[in-house]
Amino acid sequence: MSAPINVRDLVPGTSVVLADGAVAEIVSNPGDGMWLFARYLTSPSDPTLVGQEEMIFAPDVVALGRSAAV
Amino acid sequence: MAMNGRRGYRSGLVNLEVGEISREIFVNEDIYAEEQERIFARAWLHVGHESQIPKPGDYFVSSMGEESVILCRDRAGRIHVFLNSCRHRGMKVCRYDEGSTTVFTCPYHGWSYGTDGRLVGVPYFREAYHSRLDKEKWGLVEVAQLCNYKGSIWATWDAAAPTLSEYLGDFTRFLDLQLDGWDGREGQAEVLGGIQKWLVPCNWKFPAENFSGDTYHNISHRSVDLAGIGPSGAGRRDMGERDASRKLHVCIPDRGHQTILYVLPAGRLPPPAYMNAPIVAEYFRHCEEERRRRRGDESRLIGAPGEIFPNTALLSRQPRTMAAWHPRGPHQTECWRWFFVDRDAPNEVKQFLRDYYIRYSGPAGMTEQDDMENWNYAHAASRGTIARRHPYNYDQGRGTAVADYEYQGLRVPGEVIDLTEVQSSEQPMRNFYRRWAEFMEADDWSQLATWRSGERKAAE
Amino acid sequence: MAERDARIDRLLLGQEIADFLYREAELLDERRYREWLDLLADDIRYWMPMRRNVKFGEDEREFTRADSDINWFDEGKDTLVRRVKQIETGIHWAEEPRSRLSHLVANVQLQGAEPSFAAAQQVSVTSRFLIYRNRVQTETDILVGRREDSLRRNGAGWLLARRKIILDQNVLLTKNLTFFI
Repeated sequence: MSAPINVRDLVPGTSVVLADGAVAEIVSNPGDGMWLFARYLTSPSDPTLVGQEEMIFAPDVVALGRSAAV
Repeated sequence: MAMNGRRGYRSGLVNLEVGEISREIFVNEDIYAEEQERIFARAWLHVGHESQIPKPGDYFVSSMGEESVILCRDRAGRIHVFLNSCRHRGMKVCRYDEGSTTVFTCPYHGWSYGTDGRLVGVPYFREAYHSRLDKEKWGLVEVAQLCNYKGSIWATWDAAAPTLSEYLGDFTRFLDLQLDGWDGREGQAEVLGGIQKWLVPCNWKFPAENFSGDTYHNISHRSVDLAGIGPSGAGRRDMGERDASRKLHVCIPDRGHQTILYVLPAGRLPPPAYMNAPIVAEYFRHCEEERRRRRGDESRLIGAPGEIFPNTALLSRQPRTMAAWHPRGPHQTECWRWFFVDRDAPNEVKQFLRDYYIRYSGPAGMTEQDDMENWNYAHAASRGTIARRHPYNYDQGRGTAVADYEYQGLRVPGEVIDLTEVQSSEQPMRNFYRRWAEFMEADDWSQLATWRSGERKAAE
Repeated sequence: MAERDARIDRLLLGQEIADFLYREAELLDERRYREWLDLLADDIRYWMPMRRNVKFGEDEREFTRADSDINWFDEGKDTLVRRVKQIETGIHWAEEPRSRLSHLVANVQLQGAEPSFAAAQQVSVTSRFLIYRNRVQTETDILVGRREDSLRRNGAGWLLARRKIILDQNVLLTKNLTFFI
C-alpha cells in the first residue's frame, strides 16, 4: 500500500494516479482533503470513464502525475 | 412534574386572568423538552442576514433553537438553511463559524454535499452501495420554508406554518424600523462583522420577555445611566424623544409579537441625537428629514426594544441590534447578537456607532451586564421546590389595553397601552406568554393561525 | 564584555516591565481601580477581538478586525474610566457584590525596546494571563489568553499605551466581562 497523499492543496491541472491504475486530471479541488473533481484521462478497468468528470475520493489517489505549469 | 399528555397551560401555569405565571415554565425540564417540539420546531426563527453571505459559496453557521444550522448561498446564488448534520451518522458537516466553500464534506465517512444541500459525494458508491443508494433522498435536511425579508433571513421547519409575512402580521412595520435605512429607504441595513455569542445561566424566556418591552426595569440600568455612555454624553442612550413623544406598549395579540414604541406628535422631527459626534449628529438630522419626506406620518414612529415570538429581539435605535436567545437546556441560554448599520452610511458614522455598540451591548457592554445578573439569579432562585409553588406576578396594567389607539391622526395597530403617564405595563409579557401557551397547547398550525377564522383576542 | 552588558540591560528592563505587569495585576485584584487607571496613558487603546473557528489556511478570518468589526472591547481612556465609575456607583448589579479576582500573569516576554534596552522609552511586551474570577457563592470563571502591550516611559515609571487581548474562547463562556484583563 503506497503512502497516503494529502490532496487538500493540489491545484487544478495536476494529474493523479488512482488505485485501479487510472489517471485523472484535477478540474477543481474543494479543499476538504477528502475529494477531488477530476476528469479521467485513462481508465484501463473501465474505459467508459475516459473524458468523464467524476468525484475522486482521496484514499484512491496513490500517486501524483504531472503538475500543472505555474 | 410530568407534563406528558397534560394540557391546560392557559388554565394552569399561565393564568392571564389574574396575571400570574408559574415558575415551572422557566425551570421545568419536561416543559423545556416540549418547547423544542411545540415552539422551536414550528415557529419562524431568525437565522442571519444576507450581508453575511454575499457571494455564492459563502456560509455562516447559525442556530435554530438548540440545533446547529448552516446558512449558505449556493452556486446559483440561492440562499439555503440546512441542518448541520450528516445524513449518514450525524457528524457536523461544518465546524467553522463562517467562510466560503464548494462542498460540505463530513469528516467521519466522507459523504459530501453541495452548497445546495444535494448529496454529491459518497465514497465507494459503486462498490459498497452497488450504485443503489438514492442520493436524491439523502441530501442535507433543509428548512421547510425560508424567507429573505429586507436582507434578514428567517426559517421554519414547519411546512404548515404561515408565510413569514402572515406570521409577522401587523408587526412587520416594526421589523421595518430595524431593517430600513435611517433615511426611510427600504432595506438598507447591513451587519457589522463579528457576531457576539455568549452563555447566560438562565432560561431563554428571561431575555425574551425583557425585550418584549420591560419598561419597569430601569433600576437595573441605573449604574450605566450614571456612568453616562450615551452618544450625547449622558445616560445610556439619547432619550430626547421621551420628552416629546407618546410612549407606548404595542402588542400584536394573535401573533405574540410586541414592542415598546415612541410616537412623535404630528409634524415633529425627532430631537437631536449623537451630539458627541457632530458628523453623526448631522447625518442623523439629515436622515430624519429624508425619512419624513419619504414616509410622511409613518416617520413619527420611533423604534425601541421589541420581540418577535419566540426568541428574536429587536432594537432599531441605540444600539441598533437584533438578538436570538438560543435555548441550551432549561437553565442556560446562548445569546447571539447582530449589529446593524446602514450600508452606505459614511465611515465616520459606522465607526462611531460601532464604538457605541461595543460599550453598550453584550457581555462586555456596560448595560446588558446588569440584565444578565438579574436573569441569572432570578432563574437560580426559582428552581427550588418551594420557589416553584409561587407564581410570578404579571399584573401590571392588566385590562387597560385598547385596540384602536390613535395619536394625532396616526393609527397604531394591535393592543396598545399608552405609558406616557402610567410609566409602565406588563402587557407585552402577557401577550408573549399567551402566545407561548397557545403554541404549547396547539396540535398544529390550523389551531395557531387564529386570525384566519376572524377570531380576535380580546384585550383582558 | 559589551555583549554581556547588552544582555544585562535587556534582563534588567525585562524585570522592570514584568514588575509593572505584576503590579498592574495586583491593583486590579485589590480593586484599586483608580490607581490602575493612573497606569494608563490618556491615549490608550484597549481592545479585545472576537475569535472565529476557521478553516486551516484561512487565518485572516480568525479575528474580528480593529476599527470595522464588532469586538468584545475597544476602549479608550474615557470608557475605561466610565467602567470604573460604574463599579463605584455601588449599584452595578453585575459587579455588586464585587467579584473576587486573581490575575496570574505569565510568559512575560520583552519583544522590543526603543531606542534601546539600556535607555528604553517605548517597550513592547507580550504575556499570557489566567484570570480566576469567583463571584457570589459558586460562580467561577477562568479566562486564559495572551496580551500584546505597548508601554511608554513616564518619568521613573511606565504607562500602558496599548493593549490587545487575545482570549482563548469563541462563544464567551462567562456571562459578563465586568472586570479588566
